[in-house]
Amino acid sequence: MIPSRSTGGRAPDALLALALVGALASGAMGRHALAAADPWAGDLRPITAKEWSPARASHLLERAGFGGTPEEVAALARLTPEQAVEQALHAEPGPLPPFDPSGIHDPSLEPFPPSRPATTALARERGEAIGVRVKAGGDRPLQPVVNRFFYWLRASALETHRLAYWWAQRMLVSKRPLQEKVALFWHGHFAVHETKVRDYRKLERQLELFHRLGTGSFRELLHEVARDPAMLVFLDAGQNVKGAPNENFAREIMELFTMGPGHYTETDIREAARAFTGWNYRDLEFAVNVEQHDDGEKTVLGKRGRFDGDEVIDLVLEQPATAEFIAAKLYRFFVREELSAELRSRLGVRLRESDYRIEPLLRTIFLSRDFYSRDSRATQIKSPVHLVISTYRKLGLREIPGVPDFNQITAELGQQLFWPPTVAGWPEGRAWVTPGLLMARGNFAYRVLSPDINFVPPDRSPPDPRIGAVHRAIAQGQDITSATLPGDDEGMAMANVMADRDEDFNTRYGSYKGWQQAIQRVKPIPRVTAAVDLRGMVLASGARTAEQAVDHLLGRFLLTEPDPELRRRLIAYLEGELGTGDLTRAESYLEEPLRGLVHLILSAPEYQLG
Amino acid sequence: MNLAPLRRRELLRLGIGLGAGLAGPLASLPWFPRRARAGEADRILVVVELSGGNDGLNTVVPYGDDAYYRLRPRLGIRAEQLRKIDDHFGFPEGMAGFERLYKEGQLAIVHGCGYPDPSFSHFTSMAYWQTGAPHRGEEYGWLGRLADALSPETRSELLVNIDATQSLAVRSRRHTPLVFDDPEHFERMGEFAERELLGFVPRSAGSSPSESYLREVARAALESSRRVREAWAAYRTPVDYGLVSIDLPKVAALIAAGLPTRLFYAAFRNNAFDTHVYQRELHARLLTYASDALAAFLRDLERIGRAGDVTVVLFSEFGRRAAENTSLGTDHGAAGPMFVAGKGVHGGQYGAHPSLLELDAGGNPIHTTDFRRVYAAAAQRWLGLGDTRELLYGEFEPLPLFG
Repeated sequence: MIPSRSTGGRAPDALLALALVGALASGAMGRHALAAADPWAGDLRPITAKEWSPARASHLLERAGFGGTPEEVAALARLTPEQAVEQALHAEPGPLPPFDPSGIHDPSLEPFPPSRPATTALARERGEAIGVRVKAGGDRPLQPVVNRFFYWLRASALETHRLAYWWAQRMLVSKRPLQEKVALFWHGHFAVHETKVRDYRKLERQLELFHRLGTGSFRELLHEVARDPAMLVFLDAGQNVKGAPNENFAREIMELFTMGPGHYTETDIREAARAFTGWNYRDLEFAVNVEQHDDGEKTVLGKRGRFDGDEVIDLVLEQPATAEFIAAKLYRFFVREELSAELRSRLGVRLRESDYRIEPLLRTIFLSRDFYSRDSRATQIKSPVHLVISTYRKLGLREIPGVPDFNQITAELGQQLFWPPTVAGWPEGRAWVTPGLLMARGNFAYRVLSPDINFVPPDRSPPDPRIGAVHRAIAQGQDITSATLPGDDEGMAMANVMADRDEDFNTRYGSYKGWQQAIQRVKPIPRVTAAVDLRGMVLASGARTAEQAVDHLLGRFLLTEPDPELRRRLIAYLEGELGTGDLTRAESYLEEPLRGLVHLILSAPEYQLG
Repeated sequence: MNLAPLRRRELLRLGIGLGAGLAGPLASLPWFPRRARAGEADRILVVVELSGGNDGLNTVVPYGDDAYYRLRPRLGIRAEQLRKIDDHFGFPEGMAGFERLYKEGQLAIVHGCGYPDPSFSHFTSMAYWQTGAPHRGEEYGWLGRLADALSPETRSELLVNIDATQSLAVRSRRHTPLVFDDPEHFERMGEFAERELLGFVPRSAGSSPSESYLREVARAALESSRRVREAWAAYRTPVDYGLVSIDLPKVAALIAAGLPTRLFYAAFRNNAFDTHVYQRELHARLLTYASDALAAFLRDLERIGRAGDVTVVLFSEFGRRAAENTSLGTDHGAAGPMFVAGKGVHGGQYGAHPSLLELDAGGNPIHTTDFRRVYAAAAQRWLGLGDTRELLYGEFEPLPLFG
C-alpha cells in the first residue's frame, strides 16, 4: 500500500502526498517509505574502522556533543571509531573558568520564606525578617522587608540567567561537549526550575553534580539527587514529616526518575513517602530532621522493613524496570525516538550488568551499528539548546553572543536552561517543533546574523512593564499609592481590583524597589554580537564560485542531502546578490550576501535535523 | 501505488460513524449531516486546561456541608467569604466573573468529574483527559480525533492550539494543528530578496519521517502565519482579561478575523494549579485569574458578535485530596468540577457533588460523572457529530448542557 521510494522518483500526486505526509506527521506508521529497512538498525555490535567515515564522524560529533566545523569532523574521521568515542568520553574539557558570582547572597536571607505572605507574617511576629527590621514608625512599616523579599527573587533570577550563560559557554568551547550534553540530559530528567527553587546557588550546585556524575553511576547520582537541596525544595521535601507524609517526592522518584508508571502502586508511593520523612536541607546542605522521620516498618515494592530513604532508593534500583527506563531514555535522547521492546530490554540488561554505570552504556551505543544506521542519522529534531549551541559552533564562534540574548532565544524556542516547564522536564522530539516554533528557529538565525540595533538587554529591562511605570511615577513625585494604582477602567478584572489592599506595605512598590536593588548588584551580561566572518570562512574553504560557496555552506550546516531545487535557488539567490558567480570579483562585499545565504540555509526545515 | 481503496474505506468508516442511516455516496461526505442543522457548522469549541490539578473543593465550595470544614479546618473558606450561588455552594471572592456567568445562566458546573481507577500522576492523568481515553495508551488527542471526524479532508486552521508546544489533546491523524504562542513572532524575519526562498518548502516527502514532518509543519506555518498575524494586528479590545489571560484574547482575535477554526485549545500553563503547600492565597489568585479571563472572553465575544457560536470547556487533570495536608496545601486527588460556559449553554449544575463522608481508600472524593459525558455533549450536541462512540471508544451519554 505504501509506495517504495525506489519506484517513486517522481513527485507523488497531491492526494498521495497528503495521505503519506499526514500519516508520517502523526507518527501513525512505524516505518518510512524507504526502500528497505537498514539491517544495521537494532544491531548493537560495533562498527569497524573500515566502516568509519567523515559522515559517521559528523554524526558522532552531533549526537555526543553539539556538532562541529568541517575541520573538526575531518580530524575525528582520521581516528578509529574506538579512538573517536574514547575522545568523546574522556577528552580534557580544556581550561573552563568557574562561574563568577555577583555576590548577591548573604546569610541573613536564610532560611528564605516560601512566599511573600509568609515573609510579612514572619516580620509581624518577630519584628524582622530576611535581615531587615520592621520600620520604627511611619507609613508602611513592612515595606523594607517586602522590598528585600522582591530583591532576592529578582536577583536570584538574574543571577540564574548569568549561570545559564556560563553553562552555554562551556557547551560552546568545551573539548568534552559530551559532559555538557549529559548534564543537559540530567537537567531535563531531574528537572527543577528557578521560579520554585528561588536560589541560583542551589541550581549551580545541582549542575555541578550533573557535570561530575553525569556519565558515572546512576546509582550514585540518584542518591545524590535525593539529597540535593534544589530537588528537596522543588519537591516540597521539607513538608514530608512523620504522621503527615507529603507524597510528591516519593511519587516523582518512582514515576519520573526511575521506573515510570505501571511498575508500582499507590501504596508503594505512600509507604516510600514515609521513608523519606524528615529529609530536608539547611541552606545548601542536606539535613535529616530525626524527630520528623518515621522509622516504623514499611512495605515498598514487595519488601518489608524499617526502610529509610536510601534503602528505598536501593529497592527501586533493584527493579529491572528502572534500568530499562533509564537506558531507554538515554537511547531516545542520544539516538532516536523509537526503539523496539527487545532493544529496550537489552539496553536495560547492559545498564544493570554494569551496576548502573552510564559510561559503558554510552560507549556501546556510540560504537554500535544501530547508532550509525540510516534510521538514526539526521533523524533527530534538535532541541533548542542544541540548535543554538551547534549553530554557534558551526559558525566558528568562541563566545556566546550577548545579542541576541541566549536565554531569551532559548525560552522563545521552548527550552530555557534552569526553567524546564514542569517536573517532567522537556518533551523531546517532535514536540520541539510547531508551525510557530519552526519560524522562530529561522528568526533566531536572522537575529544572530543581522543583530537588532534596537536591542534592549532583558537583564536590565523589567519583565513587567508596570514596574517601569511605577518608576516613572515615583520619580515624578507621586505618592506610593497613586504611583502604583493599576488604573480604574470599568469592568476591571478582579485580580486588579483586589491587588495590594494591605496598608502595611505595597506589593507593587516592593516589586519595583526589588528590581532596582537587584540590577545594582547583579553583574550585567556582556552584550557582544556574534563574531561571524563568513567571508573568511568561505574563502578559506577554497570556494571560488557562488555554487562552491553554497555547497560548502550546505555541507557545513546540513546533515541531509540538500533538496536539488533548494540548492539551485540558493545559488541563484547568491549570484543575484553578488551580481556575479565569481567570488574573487565580489570579495570586497561578500559578507552581507553570505549572511543572507546562511540565514536561508538555517531557515530550511532540514536544518532542524541533528 | 493506488491509495484510493484505503481512503474510501476510511471515509466509509467515518461516514458510518457520523451519519447513521445514510447510505451510498452521501456516507462518504461526512459534512453532509452537519449541514442538516443550521448553524452548527459555524460553532466553535474552546477547551481550556487548568494544569496542575485544580482543587475543586475550594473552587465550587460546598459551604453547606459540615464535612467540608472538618476536612479543611485551615484551608476551608468560610461561608461569609464566598459568593454564594445557592444555599449549598459558593465561589471564592475573586471569582466574580464565574458568579455573574452562573447567574446569567451561561455557566454550567458539572460536579464530580473523573474516570474509573484514577491516576494521581499529573502526566498520566492529563494524558487521559487530553486523549479522552483513560488507561488506553491512546496516541491521538480527543480534539485531534474530533477534528478527524468532523473533517476527514485535511483542512488548515481547523484545529488551533495556542501554546509554546503542541498539546497531546490536538494530536491528529489527518490534520496538522496550527500551534503558535506569540502572534507577533509568528512571522519569518528576512529581507526582501530572501522572501521568495523563505517561502519555499521542497515538495517531496523527505528522506526520513522527521524530515517529512518538518516540511509539513513548514507548509502549515507558511499558510497560516500571515492570517494569524493580521488577525492579531487588527484585534483591539477594551475588555480587561486580568493578569493571566490564558491566551483567550488570541482566540478572540482569530474568531473575530473569521478564521475557519472550530476547535481551540489553550492552557493555564506550567502546572500552575499544583498547590501542595501554602495554597490559600496562591489558589485564590489562580482562580481569580481564570475567572477573570473566562468572563472577559465571553464579554469580548459578545462585542465581536460571535457569543452565540462559542462554547468553552474548562477542566483540570484531577482534583485534590479532600482533606488539607499539614503544609497548608492539598495533595493530588481525584474528581473535580468541570465548567462549560457560553451563550448556547444551559447554565446550572449537573451531576452529583461527591460525598465528603464516603471517600476512597486514599481519602479522595469519588467521581460521580465521567468526564467523557461532557466531551460527548460538546461533540454531539454542540458541534453536531452524529455519533460519539467511535470518538470516545464507548457509549457516554451526553449531558444535556445545550439548548
